[in-house]
Amino acid sequence: MSFVQANGVTLHVQELAPARSGRPPTVVLLHGLAADTMASWFFTLAYPLVEYGFRVVLQDLRGHGRSERPVSGYALDDFVDDLDALIGLQADGPVHLFGNSFGGTIAYAYAARHPDRVAGIVAVESSPPTEEWLARLRERLRHRPRILATSAPRSGGVRLADTTLRDDLPASRLPDPAALAAIRCPVLCLYGERSPAYELDPSTRRLLPAARTEVFAGQRHSLLVDQPTEVWAVVTAWLDTEFPRGG
Amino acid sequence: MPVDNATVTAEVTQILRTVLGDIEPDVPVSAESTFRDDLGMESIDVVALAGRLQARYGGVNFARFVATLDVASIGDLSVGHLVDHIVAELNTPVPAEGAR
Repeated sequence: MSFVQANGVTLHVQELAPARSGRPPTVVLLHGLAADTMASWFFTLAYPLVEYGFRVVLQDLRGHGRSERPVSGYALDDFVDDLDALIGLQADGPVHLFGNSFGGTIAYAYAARHPDRVAGIVAVESSPPTEEWLARLRERLRHRPRILATSAPRSGGVRLADTTLRDDLPASRLPDPAALAAIRCPVLCLYGERSPAYELDPSTRRLLPAARTEVFAGQRHSLLVDQPTEVWAVVTAWLDTEFPRGG
Repeated sequence: MPVDNATVTAEVTQILRTVLGDIEPDVPVSAESTFRDDLGMESIDVVALAGRLQARYGGVNFARFVATLDVASIGDLSVGHLVDHIVAELNTPVPAEGAR
């Protein structure tokens, strides 16, 4: 287990690296909001990605998992600033960003800010940070505030429900849509057919017409943990196509 | 030199207590203890445990171990199950180059 200081918070980070030497490309795995942690990547695609040849960096978002849970500072930009600082510490070239749900939203926001620092994006059950996305998030936090209570700390610290996340995140400043549309790296969007996240796909396609989209029949928002083998098959095929490895 | 089960059990127990912090100091840890029901561990605690074990047992392939698990089943794991994997790996001769 390791902790890094990034953007003024202590983040729980795990690094998994291939055994062979050289300079493998780095992929940063970003989890979703509230009850989610890096575990949903760790027990699904993390080791397959290492086997594939990536150096894998997993991060618990601020307020989540074993990262520090400050009382305030939960706007989208705060999460992007954390990632920005982490990538500054962990990588010296463009990185791949894989995000689950809100983690994908962070990935898009980071790529809008630093298009030249992102090699590729895999967004599982995720939407770019658009007005439409933010409206849905506001709705969800208003009507289902208990989603924040599910993320309970082990040691009696501040619960996510006791932080200002419910105020900060809905008030997030959004990236300029032109900056999102200017994302040029390969993007793979994965959805569960029965998930509400899939309903935002048309607006994502309008924004990023070159993105590749794959829909998993009958699946819900928990696609990543429910179908890791199927997700990995699609991701490897996409990686092989977009980032062919020289012989 | 072959490692024995008792030594690894003692080390893993020590690391487990570190990972769990001061939250549950009174909970006994044995080979039969299950991660979720007996130790109250959540999946993120298992990740933290794996990180520490990898640092302690560099030669152990935790990827192979993790590949046998999924998010839903990791809580059912017992300490003994984990120790058996570590002992088996440590007592297996390292294969020659070209594993991948």
